[in-house]
Amino acid sequence: MSLPTGTRDYTYAEDMAIIRTKTQWALFTGFLIFLFTTPLYLGNYWLGVANLIGITIIAATGLNILVGYCGQLSIGHAGFIAVGAYTAAILTNRLELPFLVGLICAGLTAGAIGLIFGIPSVRVKGFYLAITTIAAQFIIIWVINHWQVTGGFVGIKVPYASIGGFVFRTEASQFYLIMTIVVLCIFFAKNLARTKVGRAFIAIRDNDLAAQVMGINLFRYKLLAFFIGCFLAGIAGSLLAHWIGFLNAEQFSLTESILYIGMIIIGGLGTTLGPILGVTFLRLLQQVLTMEVVPFLESTVALPAGFASGVTPMLFGLVIILFLILEPRGLAHRWTLFKSSYRLWPFSY
Amino acid sequence: MAELLQYLITGLAVGMVYSLIGLGFVVVWKSSGVANLALGAIVLISSWFTYGMLVQAGLPLWLGFPLVILFALVLGWVIERFALRPLIAQPILSLITVTLGLAYFIEGLVNFIWPWSVDALPRLFPTEPIRIGLAVVSQEYIWVASISLVMFGLLTLFFRYHKMGIAMRATADDQLAVQACGIPVTKIFSMSWMFACVVAAVGGILISSIGGITYGLVETGLKSFSVVILGGLDSFIGAIIAGPIIGLAESLGGGYLSPYIWAGVKDIIPFIIIIIVIIIRPYGLFGEERIERI
Amino acid sequence: MKSKRLLLVAGGILLAVVVAVLPLLGACAPGEKTLKIGITTPTTGPAAEKGSPMGHANLDCVEYINAELGGVGGYPVEVVWLDNAYDAAKGVTAVKKLMDEGCLMFGTASSKIMSAVMETANRAEFPGIACFTSPVLYHPPQHIYGQLPDYGDDALAFANFYMENIWKGSGKPKFALHLLNNPTGSGARDAFRAKAEELGIEIIATEEHTPTTISEMSSLTRIKALNPDVLFISSTPAPTAVIIKNAYALGMYPGITIGCAHASFTKALIDIAGADIVEGVYGTFPTVMWGEDVPAMAKMTEYCQRLHPKDYGNMDYITSWAQTLVMAEILKLALENVGYDVLAKGDVESWRAIETQGFQKLKDFDAGGLHGTVTYTPGDNRLTTYNRIYQIVNGEITNPSDWVEAPFIKYEGYDWFGQ
Repeated sequence: MSLPTGTRDYTYAEDMAIIRTKTQWALFTGFLIFLFTTPLYLGNYWLGVANLIGITIIAATGLNILVGYCGQLSIGHAGFIAVGAYTAAILTNRLELPFLVGLICAGLTAGAIGLIFGIPSVRVKGFYLAITTIAAQFIIIWVINHWQVTGGFVGIKVPYASIGGFVFRTEASQFYLIMTIVVLCIFFAKNLARTKVGRAFIAIRDNDLAAQVMGINLFRYKLLAFFIGCFLAGIAGSLLAHWIGFLNAEQFSLTESILYIGMIIIGGLGTTLGPILGVTFLRLLQQVLTMEVVPFLESTVALPAGFASGVTPMLFGLVIILFLILEPRGLAHRWTLFKSSYRLWPFSY
Repeated sequence: MAELLQYLITGLAVGMVYSLIGLGFVVVWKSSGVANLALGAIVLISSWFTYGMLVQAGLPLWLGFPLVILFALVLGWVIERFALRPLIAQPILSLITVTLGLAYFIEGLVNFIWPWSVDALPRLFPTEPIRIGLAVVSQEYIWVASISLVMFGLLTLFFRYHKMGIAMRATADDQLAVQACGIPVTKIFSMSWMFACVVAAVGGILISSIGGITYGLVETGLKSFSVVILGGLDSFIGAIIAGPIIGLAESLGGGYLSPYIWAGVKDIIPFIIIIIVIIIRPYGLFGEERIERI
Repeated sequence: MKSKRLLLVAGGILLAVVVAVLPLLGACAPGEKTLKIGITTPTTGPAAEKGSPMGHANLDCVEYINAELGGVGGYPVEVVWLDNAYDAAKGVTAVKKLMDEGCLMFGTASSKIMSAVMETANRAEFPGIACFTSPVLYHPPQHIYGQLPDYGDDALAFANFYMENIWKGSGKPKFALHLLNNPTGSGARDAFRAKAEELGIEIIATEEHTPTTISEMSSLTRIKALNPDVLFISSTPAPTAVIIKNAYALGMYPGITIGCAHASFTKALIDIAGADIVEGVYGTFPTVMWGEDVPAMAKMTEYCQRLHPKDYGNMDYITSWAQTLVMAEILKLALENVGYDVLAKGDVESWRAIETQGFQKLKDFDAGGLHGTVTYTPGDNRLTTYNRIYQIVNGEITNPSDWVEAPFIKYEGYDWFGQ
C-alpha cells in the first residue's frame, strides 16, 4: 500500500478504512467542500457541464463495474441509460409519480433489462459477448421508437426533478442533487470492490474457469455484475432525463456507447478513480473543442472550409491515441505513479 | 412465390456486402486479436479517396483503382506503424480504444478534405437489372457478391498456401513461438493492417457505388462487426456465410413479419438470430473453439 | 522513458494553455451597445455537411447586416456562435452558455438538436428558432418557433399539389410511404395520419428504412404488390437514392409518381441515383434556388462568394441566411415596440419582450424573397408555411410550382400523437 511510513494499524477497522491519514482526511474534506461550493463560483454553463460530467460518471462507474471489475464487455451502455431515462420519463410524466420513485424504478428497470441481455454471458465470453450488448442497444432503441408509451419518434417531455415539495429548478440545485448521487455511487462502487462480491468479480475477470473451481457461482455473479452496471446506468439515465427535460431515442446512439468504453479505458479499468478521471477528461475535452476551439477557428476567416469541422474530431482522436500510447494503463495509473513519486520525493526513482 | 424468390435473392445480395467488409475485420483479428473499431472510418476515407481520384482528379478507372489500392496499403501501414505498434504488449482493450481514437481522427480528416460529406461515385455498373425467374436484382449487387467471393478466395488461398499467410496464422496462434522462429511479428501486424485496409477499400467502393458516399458508411462498417461475430471472429468462411444469413434474416424477416409487428423490424431480426446462435455456439458458427485450461 | 515523460508534460501544458487562453480570446469583445443573438449549429460531427455551411451563412449575414444596414435600428448585432457537434448533451450546454452570455434569442439549424434543447429553453422562457423542424417542437406551442415548414408540411404540400395537378383518375389515389426511422420520417407519417381522409387519399403502405440502408428491394416488393399510385419518401439523399434506384430495378418507376421531402431533395440525390433514373421525380423545397431573381439574392451571393466561396450553390446556406434575416426582423420589431433598455438586460424580461413583441408581431415579412412570407398566427409557431414543388428534369432540380401552403394541424389534439 502506498502509505507514508509510520502509519500503523491497531484495529482491523483501521486497516480497512478508505481514508487512512490525517492528510488524506484534510484533502478529502477539502475536496468535498470545494465540490459542494462550486455553484458559488461557476456560471450556469459550467455548472451544466459539471452536471453532465456527474451524470456520465455515474453511468461510467456502472460500466466500470461490469467491464473493469467483472470483465464482461458491454458495448450497449447508452441503450441501458435510455431504458432508465425513459422509465423515469414515463413514470414522472405520464403517471405523475414522484421523482425518487422514478429514480429507483429507472435503476431497477435498466438492471432488469441488463439481466436479460446478460444471460448469454454465461456461455459467451470476450468479444463474442459484445454482440449481445450491441444487440441490446439496437433492440432497446427500436422498441423506444415504436412503442406508443414512450412517445415513439416524437419523444417525451420530462418534468423537473423534485423531492417532497422542493423542485430542482435551478442549475445549482440540480448540481447538488446530481453530485450527492455521484458521491453515493462512487462510495458504493469503492466499497463494492472490497467486498466478497467485488473479489468474486475480479476473480471472474482474471480467469473465470479458476474462479469457478474456487466455488464462485459464475452465473450468479456475472448476472449480478450486469444488474449493478445497468442499475447505475438507469440511475444516470433518470438524472439525464430530468436534466435535459426532453427525450428522443436519437440521444442514445451506438457511438455514445462506444465512447463510454473509451472513457473507462482512458481513465483506467478496474479502479474507482478511473471512470471519474476518464469521464472528466473526455467530456471536458469535448466541451472545450466544440465550445471554444470551433468558434475560434471559424472566426478566423482565412481558414479553408471544413477546417473547423475536420480539425476538432482529428484533435479529439489524436488526444485519445497519444494518451493511450503514453499511458496505456489509464489516467488512474498515472495518478498512482504521481502520488508515489510525490511521497518519495526527493528520492523518487 | 415470386415474392419469396425476390426476398431470397435480395437477402443474399445484400448479405454479401456485409461479408465483404467483415473480411477486413477478420484479417486483423486473425493476426493480432484486435477488434478494429476504425473499420467503418477506413471504409469511409477510402470511398472518398476513390471519389478524389475518379471525380476530382478525373482519372480513368484503370489508373484510379490501383491508386486507391495503393492508398489503402499506405493507410494500413501508417495506422499500424504509428498507432498500434507503440502499444504492442499492452492490454488488448487499450489497443481497441486506440482504434476508436483512430476512427475519430479519420472521420475528422474526411471532414477536413471533403467538407460537403455526401457525394456519389461515377456509375461503375450498368443499371439494367437482371431477371432471375420472377425476381429482379440490380447488377450492382451481383458485382458486389462476385467480388467478395473472389476476395474470399484470394484471402483463403493466401492464408493457406503463402509463406506469409502461414506466418500470420502462426502469429495469431502463438506470438512468442513465432518470434523464436525468426519471423518478424511487427511485419506480420503491418501486413495484416495493410490487407484489412485494402479489403475495406474495395468494400467501400462497392457500397458507395450503391448508396453514395455518406457518413452512414461508418455505421455500415460497424454492422459488419455483428456479421463477423456470428461467423466467428477468426474465420473467413464464417464471414462469407454469416453475411448472407444476416441478409436473408433481414429480407425474409422483414418481408413476412412486417405486417404483424412494428415497422422497421428487419433491422432487429438479425440481432435476435445472432443472440440465439451465439448462445448455442459461443464462438460463432465457424470460429475456432479454444479449450481453456487453468 | 525520458522522452515519453517530456511529451506527456508538454502535452499537458499545451492543453492547459489552450483551455486557459481560448475563453480570453472570446472575451475581448468591445463594450459598445449591441443586440446579442445566439446561434448554435452542428458544424462538427455527423451533420457537419449541413451545419458547417449553415453556420457560415448565419455569420456572413450578420456581417452583412452590420456592414451595410448599420445593424438593427442603429445597434450592431453581436453573435455568440457555438458548435454543438450534433450531440444532444452538448447542445444543452451550448444553450445554457447562450443564456449565460445574455443572448436575446437563439437559432439552430437541426430539429434533432432543437428537440434536445427545447425543454432547457422552454423552462427558462428563452425563445429559439430552428431552420428544420419536426412537429414536436411546437406542439403544444411554447417558446420554440419554426422557420420553415416542418416534415409533415412537406408531405401535405406534396399531396395537395398532387391532387390538384397530377391526379387524373377517379376515386382515391393510393399513397405508399417510405420513411426514415427518425422524426424526419415520422413527421410525414403523422401528417398523413391526420389529414389523409380530408385530402381524399388512401395510405396503403408505410415502410421504414435506416439512414444506412443499401437495399430496399424487399420493402418495395411489398409496396409494388399493392399497386400504389404514389410513392412518397421522407428521408435524406442517400437512402432516397437507394429507394428510387430499387424502384427502377423493380420496374415500378417510371410508372408511378415519386415525391420526396425537402431533406432529401438535393443535388446529391441526383448524383447518387443517376440523372436518368431520377428523371421526373418530384420534391418539395421551402426556399428559392441560387440565382433566382429575388431581392436578397444579390447581396447573399456577393457575401457568400467573398467570405465562403466553397458554400456557393449550397441550398442550406440560403436557409440560414434567411434565418438570420428573420432574426434581425424580430430584433427590429422588438426594438420598435419596447426600446433598447429592455433588450439590453439579456434576461427573462428581455426574452419575454422578444417573444411577445418580436416573434409574435411578425406579419408578412418576406425574408428577401428567399422563402415564403413569415407570419405568426397565434397557436401556430410555424413562421413559414409555404413550400414549392420542384421536379427533376434532365438532371436538374427545376420547374418550381407556385408556393403551396401547408395547413395547420393541431397534433396535440390527436390522442395518438406522442402517446
